[in-house]
Amino acid sequence: MSIKSDVDASRIELLEALRNKKEKTWDVLAPQYGVTNPNPPWKTSLAAMCDCLADSGKLPSLDRRNAEDKLAESVYRDVPAPERQLLALVHIMLNRGLVDESDLAARMRAVRSRLESA
Amino acid sequence: MSHSHKPGESGADLPHAAPTVEEITDFEVLEIAVRELAIEHGLFTAEDHRRFTEWTESIGPAAGSRLVAKAWTDPAFKARVLDDAVKACKEIGIDWAEPTGFGTPSDYMNLRVLEDTPTLHHVIVCTLCSCYPRPLLGMSPEWYRTTNYRRRLVRWPRQVLAEFGLIIPPEVEVRVEDSNQKCRFMVMPMRPEGTDSWTEEQLAEIVTRDCMIGVALPRPGRTADVHPVHKARHPVQE
Repeated sequence: MSIKSDVDASRIELLEALRNKKEKTWDVLAPQYGVTNPNPPWKTSLAAMCDCLADSGKLPSLDRRNAEDKLAESVYRDVPAPERQLLALVHIMLNRGLVDESDLAARMRAVRSRLESA
Repeated sequence: MSHSHKPGESGADLPHAAPTVEEITDFEVLEIAVRELAIEHGLFTAEDHRRFTEWTESIGPAAGSRLVAKAWTDPAFKARVLDDAVKACKEIGIDWAEPTGFGTPSDYMNLRVLEDTPTLHHVIVCTLCSCYPRPLLGMSPEWYRTTNYRRRLVRWPRQVLAEFGLIIPPEVEVRVEDSNQKCRFMVMPMRPEGTDSWTEEQLAEIVTRDCMIGVALPRPGRTADVHPVHKARHPVQE
């Protein structure tokens, strides 16, 4: 079965920084805090985002899954499941121009600042 | 009384499991950031996202378990399930039209329930992507979405089932049903021996998610799907 997707599997600088944070993936972090939930708190929101993008026609499910498969076997093959799905979705969205990399980097800084101030 | 957990503490030594980790990871930040930008760019609305999140959190395999248990104890209901499963689902409170009125973009409102017999065992897969009867079974397990399972099940079904610990005798036909963009499938396993006097609630407890995918069989005493993780004998050396 060959994976048919036009997603560009070139590495994306912003996401590379996260890909390399293996000590911060949920499977590593959760046991350190005695957390037994197998999924990180953002997993449901991620699933809903995929449904929303499909529902609005901006990113059909089949396109996304094919691109996820291609990225999961290449760029993000060494990343655990929920983080890999998140990185792949963002990779696809950047690839399709649905969001901009510099905008995303700036928003990540703003979100972190907001969360840490709470 | 609140208490905190620090990295390095053993979860087994603590009175309660912590609800979540006490640090903000870049992955959490990334999910929030991309969602906020998507909403600002008009890709979807915050209300859409809330609605799908609520729906995602409401689904799980318990609905499928109830459906099978009811079918085992009510022949007329079983006939309705096999005739029009989406319609029969409404009798146990599952409406495939939720949450939009037209279902979700990933769950086509066309379900077929596959009945196992003494000479026929079904197992489902989606070779194309990861189609799955989410309104009845919830989110698919990670292994169901792997290319490993999707590629190999259709070629070597007995071997793959054996890897789940399920040995199907040679005289029993194994039928792999490939989900697609137009149809969802779910397995109705055979009711096991030793359950004659059981209530629907008792029966539902042994109809686990894996039984409805077809990689396990229900039996008294088995009420959870557990997949041990085997460590690699020869791990990749960094």
